[in-house]
Amino acid sequence: MRGFGTFTKKEMTEMLRTYRAAVLMAVSLIFGIMNPMIAKLTPVLMKQFSEDFAEQGFVINKITVTAMDSWAQFDKNFPMLLLVAIVLLAGCYVKEYAKGTLIPLVTKGLSRRAVVLSKLLTQLLAWTVSFCLYACVTWGYTAYFWDNSKVQNLAFVFLYFWLAGVYLLAVVAFFSSFMSSSIQVLLGTGGVYFVLMMLGMVSIIKSKLPTSLLGCSSLLTGKAQPGDFYTAAVITVVLSAFLTMLAVVLTGRRKL
Amino acid sequence: MEILRIENICKSFGTKKVLRDVCFSVEEQSIFGFIGRNGAGKTTTMKLILGLLKADSGSITVCNEPVQYGETRTNRFVGYLPDVPEFYPYMKAREYLKLCGEIAGLSGKELKTRIDELLQLVGLGEEKGRIGGYSRGMKQRLGIAQALIGRPRLLICDEPTSALDPMGRHEILDILLEAKGQTSVLFSTHILSDVERISDHVALLEGGTVKMSGAIQDLKAMRSRTGARLVLKDPADTGKVLQAFSGAEKRVNELEFREMPEAEERRLFTYLAEENIPVLRFERKEPDLEDLFMEAVQ
Repeated sequence: MRGFGTFTKKEMTEMLRTYRAAVLMAVSLIFGIMNPMIAKLTPVLMKQFSEDFAEQGFVINKITVTAMDSWAQFDKNFPMLLLVAIVLLAGCYVKEYAKGTLIPLVTKGLSRRAVVLSKLLTQLLAWTVSFCLYACVTWGYTAYFWDNSKVQNLAFVFLYFWLAGVYLLAVVAFFSSFMSSSIQVLLGTGGVYFVLMMLGMVSIIKSKLPTSLLGCSSLLTGKAQPGDFYTAAVITVVLSAFLTMLAVVLTGRRKL
Repeated sequence: MEILRIENICKSFGTKKVLRDVCFSVEEQSIFGFIGRNGAGKTTTMKLILGLLKADSGSITVCNEPVQYGETRTNRFVGYLPDVPEFYPYMKAREYLKLCGEIAGLSGKELKTRIDELLQLVGLGEEKGRIGGYSRGMKQRLGIAQALIGRPRLLICDEPTSALDPMGRHEILDILLEAKGQTSVLFSTHILSDVERISDHVALLEGGTVKMSGAIQDLKAMRSRTGARLVLKDPADTGKVLQAFSGAEKRVNELEFREMPEAEERRLFTYLAEENIPVLRFERKEPDLEDLFMEAVQ
């Protein structure tokens, strides 16, 4: 796999110099701060509007906010973070094929497998750092304002959410191996997500789909147990590996 | 020694036959001009040599090793400059050459020395900015540098001068001439004067087949006829000369003789003197590549 290290270094430089990493980190940071902030500000906002509500006949009692409210926001904002990450990273492959920037490198011996795996590795790294930032900032502020010890299975929620992102990046790599524009890749990835959501309506397979990992926030309250998502997590890992393999094979056959 | 040999290559895209039985070879340390109109199949041929496309039939060997579609090993002998080279705009020339050099297997001091040499050769040694701010000519020069980084035995340039101004063209041709000392060069173009200036061998691709190939001097010798151009002071006299000389053709306000042997030339001047026809300009025309090209495509 000639050129893997060199090309990975190039991918990381690109991620930094094209400001994709900076934008992703900024968004992660903002969402991370927003989660506890919204929870914290909810009683203040309610108090502000209480007089208006009272005129309309609604009486607002005292609202008590806990760490759980902050983590509920974490759960609600996660799909948005995932969407931003996918939109930012989806064009990395097809842009190179469309512009022809890979041709001088491939004709020097850079293996196509190295291209796919370098890009995927860099994206996984960006996603991991971004998700860690999102999770750590929420955890830190929540710990500062309330008490995280009352929240259960936090490590599993982090792992399952992160895994959902890994799966979608593998889907992006798969569609990028034969599609020609980032819009097509995004539509393909969105299509897969939609199909999985539809399949999620069938109760037999509902708990085994990668998308079911996005519903793992029930672990926080103890309503569900980590083991309930083991099958979905294993299937997600296997599917991600399979899609990556397909992406490598199809990119090898792609006309440059 | 032959660096490149192409034998009976055929390639179709769908129902369109782009190449039919294309054959030619490139000798070591020569500059080979690959001429053809736009869409003649020059880029397709080059991509076949690089293993970026798969031939329907025929064989290609580079340094006596067969070219295979996909990740062909023969590319270690080849440097390639695409027709519109695209780089990473956020990189500097030195960084880009380092990336290319490392992929080509160079490292450490050897790579640094090679980058310095090449930046000097292409005149980008003092350039500190990022590639995103480069002009087309500068990108083309950087393209040649990246193609030469692995000391290839064959440098393939796809229309390196087509989109450049005369100054830029001049610079690129000079660089290719200089590169001849280190490598063989195969370059495609439709600018015949560029080929005449630097090539020693040519192949002319027309309608998917090689219409002629060989050393430029040999090809010119095949068509040893000398032509002539005559411009008369009074355009009204043109008709008279046309009637008297069947070999003449009218081109705008001048007469062109595709063949003008010395006896015919003497007869022409006698006729002009006898008829008292004043001449503005008479020019003997040695056969050039353009004549060969026109003959081949007609």
